[in-house]
Amino acid sequence: MRTIDDLELNAYIDGELSPDQQAELLQSMRNDPELARDACALAQLKAQLRLAYADPPKPERRGVSKARASWQAIAAGFLLLAVGLVSGWMLHANVPGQGVESHRFVVLDPEGRGQAPAVADNAETRIVFHLTDPDQAVAGELLDDVEAMLAVYESDGHPLRIEVVGHSEGLDLLRERLSRHKERIHELAEQYANLTFVACQNTINRLKVERGIEVKLIPDAEVIDSGVSHVVKRQKQGWSYIRV
Amino acid sequence: MGDNNITLFGRIGRQRKLRAQICAERDRLYRIAWSWCHDSHLADDLVQETLARALAKIDSLREESRLQVWLTQILANLYRDLFRRVQPETGLEVDILPAQGGPEDATDRSQLIALTREAIERLKDDQRQVLTLVDIAEFSYADTAAILSVPVGTVMSRLSRARQSMREILEKQGIGRAEVVPLRRPR
Repeated sequence: MRTIDDLELNAYIDGELSPDQQAELLQSMRNDPELARDACALAQLKAQLRLAYADPPKPERRGVSKARASWQAIAAGFLLLAVGLVSGWMLHANVPGQGVESHRFVVLDPEGRGQAPAVADNAETRIVFHLTDPDQAVAGELLDDVEAMLAVYESDGHPLRIEVVGHSEGLDLLRERLSRHKERIHELAEQYANLTFVACQNTINRLKVERGIEVKLIPDAEVIDSGVSHVVKRQKQGWSYIRV
Repeated sequence: MGDNNITLFGRIGRQRKLRAQICAERDRLYRIAWSWCHDSHLADDLVQETLARALAKIDSLREESRLQVWLTQILANLYRDLFRRVQPETGLEVDILPAQGGPEDATDRSQLIALTREAIERLKDDQRQVLTLVDIAEFSYADTAAILSVPVGTVMSRLSRARQSMREILEKQGIGRAEVVPLRRPR
């Protein structure tokens, strides 16, 4: 029987050996109690280390400034991201010339950089996402971003309202049998009263007439007559419009 | 929405998800950083800087499944740079005092924790890093090697020496003297 070296014994403890190597080592331990006790001691040390670092001491507050500075840096990053994200969308959104106040997002910057806010700080930001893309992976990403925005605005105390309008093939997101995100939508709708999911009745009717499908919506979806006229109405009311 | 826009949307969505994941790694990174330096303020700064750097160069992350390794790599590089500048010699100047007490107290949980941390402090820096990456952060040898930019063989030998030293230090402290076998098995 060949000798087991320290490196191998350590690798065994760390789960780095192949099944064959493990079997060989276990066999060796049966014949060598000292080796077995060594393995035991190493395993004990490993467990002891985990215990020792399970709960490291957190930094005490070094004066409010430092702690707040770091928190704000993160928050600012998120907010600036939200700004960039939304302006990015706006550039690519099919905006029919009115209704979008792109500079309203500048108020997000807590450092006061960039343009001066064009609207008062307490003005509510209102965004309607017009979802027509059938790809629910895209819809999932939309939900990610909506959730992040809701969280950021909420923590920052900025009022925000978001509507997600499911229209045409985008309605699938709100259909009981087809939605791949209904639990997620339910959680979001429960958590954020300022988030609404809206389904287009025209699309539902068309599916019934043209394809004989009886659409059942998820419980969190509200129904409006026409997706198109709804988003037009929202734009006239000054909502920012983003087509997805 | 055109194909370009969908691609753009997907890229933004990916970044968004990654950013959330990166920020969720904070506690884990802090534990690693603290285990290296035993200084809560320094550890906090290291993690802060790690997250900032990661967010700034998020596009350089190729495989999302390697996020933890990638982040820890950034942390290790930062730590190495800092260590080079501030502490050219090995050994820690720590901000916590190990609890005092004799071996008879060693069964006490907090005492055990304090003594273990004290033993870690006495390790050489490179040994301490390998040991904590493997045991506390639970990285594989290969990932540990990647994080520290050293060969896997180096990880293994440092790990073996680190554990050997730990057992010697802990034995001197009176932990495990009764149940731990002699350090060097006769060959």
